[in-house]
Amino acid sequence: MAGNAAVLEDDSLVSRLDRRLLQVEQVLALISGLAVFSLMVLAVVSVGGRNAFNAPLPGYVDWIEQAMPLIAFMGIAYVQREGGHIRMDIVIGALRGRALWLFELFSVLLILALMICLVWGSWAHFARSFDFAAPLWSRDSSIDIGIPLWPAKLLAPVAFSVLCLRLVLQVWAYGRALVLGLDAPAAVPLIQDAAAQAAHEAEMLTGHDDAPGDSTDSRNSQG
Amino acid sequence: GEAAATEWNVSVWGKRRAFTEHVEKLAELVSEKTDGAFTMNVSYGGLSKPRENLDGISIGAFEMAQFCAGYHRDKNPSITVLELPFLGVNNLAEEVAVSHAVYAHPAAAKDLARWNAKLLMTSPMPQYNLVGTGEPRDELAEFDGMRVRATGGLGKAFEAVGGVPTSVPATEAYNAMESGVVDTVAFAQHAHLSFGTINKADWWTANLNPGTVNCPVVVNTDAYDMLSDAEREALDSSVDEAIAHYLDNYGKLLTKWDSVLEEKGVEKVMISEEQLAAFRAKAADPIREQWIKDMTAQGIPGQELYDLVMKTLEDTRAGN
Amino acid sequence: MEPIEIGLWVTGFLLILVVTGMRVAFAAALAGLVGLTWIFWAKFGYDPSRFTKALTIAVKTAGQVPHSKVSSQALSLIPTFILIGYLAYYAGLTKALFEAAKRWIAWLPGGLAVSTVFATAGFAAVSGASVATSAVFARIAIPEMLAIGYNKQFAAGVVAAGGTLASLIPPSAILVIYAIIVEQDVGKLLLAGFIPGAFSAVIYGLLIVGIAMIFKTVGPPVKGFTWKQRFAALPGALPIMFVVVIIIFFVYNPFGEAWGTPTEGGALGAFVVFLMALWRGMKWAELKSALLETAKLAVMIFSIIWGVLIYVRFLGFADLPGAFSDWITSLEMSPMLILICILLAYAVLGMFMDAIGMLLLTLPVVYPAVMALNGGEAVSAADSAFGMNGTMCAIWFGILVVKMAEFCLITPPIGLNCFVVAGVRDDLTVQDVFKGVTPFFIADAITIALLVAFPGIVLYLPSLAG
Ligand code: NA
Ligand code: NA
Repeated sequence: MAGNAAVLEDDSLVSRLDRRLLQVEQVLALISGLAVFSLMVLAVVSVGGRNAFNAPLPGYVDWIEQAMPLIAFMGIAYVQREGGHIRMDIVIGALRGRALWLFELFSVLLILALMICLVWGSWAHFARSFDFAAPLWSRDSSIDIGIPLWPAKLLAPVAFSVLCLRLVLQVWAYGRALVLGLDAPAAVPLIQDAAAQAAHEAEMLTGHDDAPGDSTDSRNSQG
Repeated sequence: GEAAATEWNVSVWGKRRAFTEHVEKLAELVSEKTDGAFTMNVSYGGLSKPRENLDGISIGAFEMAQFCAGYHRDKNPSITVLELPFLGVNNLAEEVAVSHAVYAHPAAAKDLARWNAKLLMTSPMPQYNLVGTGEPRDELAEFDGMRVRATGGLGKAFEAVGGVPTSVPATEAYNAMESGVVDTVAFAQHAHLSFGTINKADWWTANLNPGTVNCPVVVNTDAYDMLSDAEREALDSSVDEAIAHYLDNYGKLLTKWDSVLEEKGVEKVMISEEQLAAFRAKAADPIREQWIKDMTAQGIPGQELYDLVMKTLEDTRAGN
Repeated sequence: MEPIEIGLWVTGFLLILVVTGMRVAFAAALAGLVGLTWIFWAKFGYDPSRFTKALTIAVKTAGQVPHSKVSSQALSLIPTFILIGYLAYYAGLTKALFEAAKRWIAWLPGGLAVSTVFATAGFAAVSGASVATSAVFARIAIPEMLAIGYNKQFAAGVVAAGGTLASLIPPSAILVIYAIIVEQDVGKLLLAGFIPGAFSAVIYGLLIVGIAMIFKTVGPPVKGFTWKQRFAALPGALPIMFVVVIIIFFVYNPFGEAWGTPTEGGALGAFVVFLMALWRGMKWAELKSALLETAKLAVMIFSIIWGVLIYVRFLGFADLPGAFSDWITSLEMSPMLILICILLAYAVLGMFMDAIGMLLLTLPVVYPAVMALNGGEAVSAADSAFGMNGTMCAIWFGILVVKMAEFCLITPPIGLNCFVVAGVRDDLTVQDVFKGVTPFFIADAITIALLVAFPGIVLYLPSLAG
C-alpha cells in the first residue's frame, strides 16, 4: 500500500532501467483503470438499452468477463514496483541493513521462480485456446455469444512477463544493496514504518477533498 | 513396482444432485467389481472450474470429468450438434440414445482427442422449457419483444422469432426475473427449482422443447489406456447401469415437478402443433443450416452428424 | 504420504512464507504450486524420472487459475466499488455529508462526535474501503471537534472507529470477496451488511452520548442551526442518496420489482458519482489519477484472489477442507462455543494481518467447517445447530467475520485505521489514537455479541429478498 515516495532514484544503471520499465508499467496500469471505467459505461449502455429501447447489450456478461483480466493483471508489475502487494511486515520490518536485503532478495527470488512457472502455465492455458487453423483462431469461446477467449487468456502471460522483468530488476537492486551494504538502495520499495506509510496514504487521499477541481494536486505529480 | 491400487480423481461441480448421480453410481460399481482395486474420488468443484474441466483432462490433472458442450463451443464443435434447437428430442431416453450415437462417431472422437479425452457417457438433460411472468405466451407472435434468459444457440433460436436474449448469469436469473430484466428464463426443471425461477413464474411451456445442453462425462485417454484389462472391463460394463440409475433417479424428480407446478399455481402451457411447426421453420432450420455450413468449413462432417441424430431418433422410437 | 499430510506440511510452509514477509498473493500461489507438484509426484510414487511430468501438470494446473478465476462478472463489483470511493472525493461528497450531519444532529450530547459517526456511515454508502474513510474524516472532523474543546484522543478515536463502518454498509469490496470465496449470492450479502452497519453506527452513537453525559472528554452540543440551514445542507449530500437507492434497489426493492442486477447497480452508482464529479469540475488529470489508484488497489486485491485460489486448488486435491470440517464437527463442544472460538481466533489473527489477506487465506478451510457445524449447506433451519438454513448461515457468518476484520482495524498493534488517523494529524501519536478508540472496542464487542445472539439483525433483509 506504500506509494511512489518509497522508491528512491539515482544515477545507477539499475535505477535508470527502473524508470524506463516504470513507464511501461504505468501505461499498463492505466489500461487497467480504463477497463474499470469501461465496466461502468458498459452497465449504463446495458441498462439504458434495455429500458429505453428494449435492446439489451448482447453478451453483456461475456464482455464483462473479457474485461476482467485487463483489470486484474495489467497493473501487477506496477504494484510490485511500488511495493503495493500486501504482506505482513512485522518480522521483516524489524530487520536493518544487510539482513533486511538478504530477506528481501530471497523473497523476490522465490517470487521470480514462481512467476516464471506461471508465465509457462498461463501461456499453456492460452495456447490451448488458440489455433491458427480455426475460425478467429479460436479453440475456446465464451458461453453466450461465443467471443474467442484467447486474447483475454493471453493477457496473463504478458502481464506476468513484465512482472518477471520487474522482479529481475529487484533481484539486481537488492543484490546490489546486499553486496555494497547500502542503507537506502534505489529502485526497490523501501519499508516505511506503518505510521509513515499511513501518513503518505492519507496525504494521497485527502487534499482533493479540500479542493475538488484542483488539477495541481500532489497525486498527479508522478504522472 | 508393486501393483498399486488405481485411484482416479473425478472433477464435477456444484453439489451432489440428480445431474451427478450416474458418476457416483459408476464409482460405486467400478469399486465393487474390482474389489476396491479401482476407486474414484468424485470432487465437487475442488479440482477445477466447470469450464476448465477439459483443460484439466488435457493436462492430466485428473482422470475423469463432466462438462457441457455449450460452455465452450469452440472447444468441442462436433458435439454441439446435440445442442441445436428443436431437434425434436422428447425424453431423457431419447437424449441418451442420440448423445451416445454422436459420441461413437469418429468425428466426435477426433474432436475430443485433441483434449486427450475419450467420451464415456452423457448426462442427459431434459429440454430447456421456459418459465415466464405475465400472460402465457403460446403463439409465435407473442414471442416478439420477449426478454429471455437463454444462452448460446437457444438464445439465437428465440432471437429468430423476435425474442431478445438477455445475458444474465444463472445465479442472478431469479433477480433478473423479479426485476423485469427478463420476462422468461429457459432452464431444465432442476435448475428452475434450484435457482428459484419457478417461484416467480406464472406459466411453464410444457411442450415447447426448444433444445437442451449436452453434458458428457469424459476420461483421460492415457489413464484409460493404463487401466488393466479387468479394470477397463469394469469401467466399460458399468456405463449402461450407471445411466439406467440416472434415468430412474431423474424420473422421480420429473414426477415431483408436476406437483411443484400445482403447488405454486404455475400454468402448464401447451403450444399447438401448427405453432410449433412455424417455430421450427423460423428458428431451427436457418440455425441448423448455418451450423452445418460452419462445421463443414472446419472439416467436420456437420450434415452427417445431424443425419445421425435424426436417424437415431427414428430408430429409438421404432424400437419402443 | 497421504494427501492430507501434504496439505498440512504445505500449509505450514505457507505460514512461514507469510510471517517472513513474502507478499501474501505470491506466498499463497507458491505454496499452492509446491503443493500441487508434491501431490502429483506422490501419485507417481516419487519416481525421479517422472518429477518433470508432475511439475508440468502442477504448473499447467496452476497456470489456468488466474484467468479462469478473475473472469467473473461478480468480481467486477470490486473495481467498481473502489472507483466509486475515489470519485466521491472529487464529487465533494465528504464535506457535504459532514456539514449536513452537523446541522441535523449536533445538538445531541457529544453531538459533533455523533455527527462524525453518521457522516462516516453516510460516506460508507459510497466507499468500499475503511482506511480511506478514516483518512478523509481525520482532515474534516477532528479540527472542528478540537475547536469546541473535545479531548484530542477521543476525537481521533471517533474518526478511526467511524471509518470501520465502510466495509459493512454496501458498497463493500470485502463483502464481495467473501461472497465469491464461499460462492454465495453477492446481492444478498450486500443487503445483509446494511442493518448491521447502521446498527454499529447507532451503538457508536449511543456510546458517545453516554460518554458525553458522564465524562468531560467531549465538547458541548452544537446548537442554533435553523431549519432553513438544515435543509440547505441536504442537496450537496443528495448524490449519496442516489447511490444508496440505486445499489439497494438493484439488489432488492421493498416496494416491488428490483431494478436490475447487483452488478449493474454497482456500475450505475459509480456512474452517478462520476457525473457529480464532472459537474464539480473534475478534469482528465484527476480522472486519470482516480483510475490509476483504482487499478492499483484492484490489482492488489485480484492478485491475492488468484494467488490464494491456486493454493485453494491444491487444497482441493489434498482435501484438507474436508478433513478440517470432519475434525471440527467431531469436537465434543457445543457448535456455538466453537463458533465463538473461531471468531476469537480471527480477532487475534487480525491484530497482525490485513483484513482481505486474512479472510482469503482462512475462509477456504474455515467456511466449510462452519457450514458443517451448522449441519451442512442443505440443512433446514429446524435441523440446524444455529437455527438457520445453510444459505442464511453463510450470510450470517460472512457479516460476523467482516465485522471481526473491521474490529481489527482499530486494535493494537497494527490497527491500520489508527495509523492513518495519526498519520494525518501531526499532533497525534498512534498511542493517542489507540487510547481514544478504546471505548469503541467495547461498543464493537457488544455489537458482535448482539449479532451472534440475534442473527435476525443480519438476516432480516436478505430473508425478505427470498
Ligand atoms: Na461501504
Ligand atoms: Na489490527
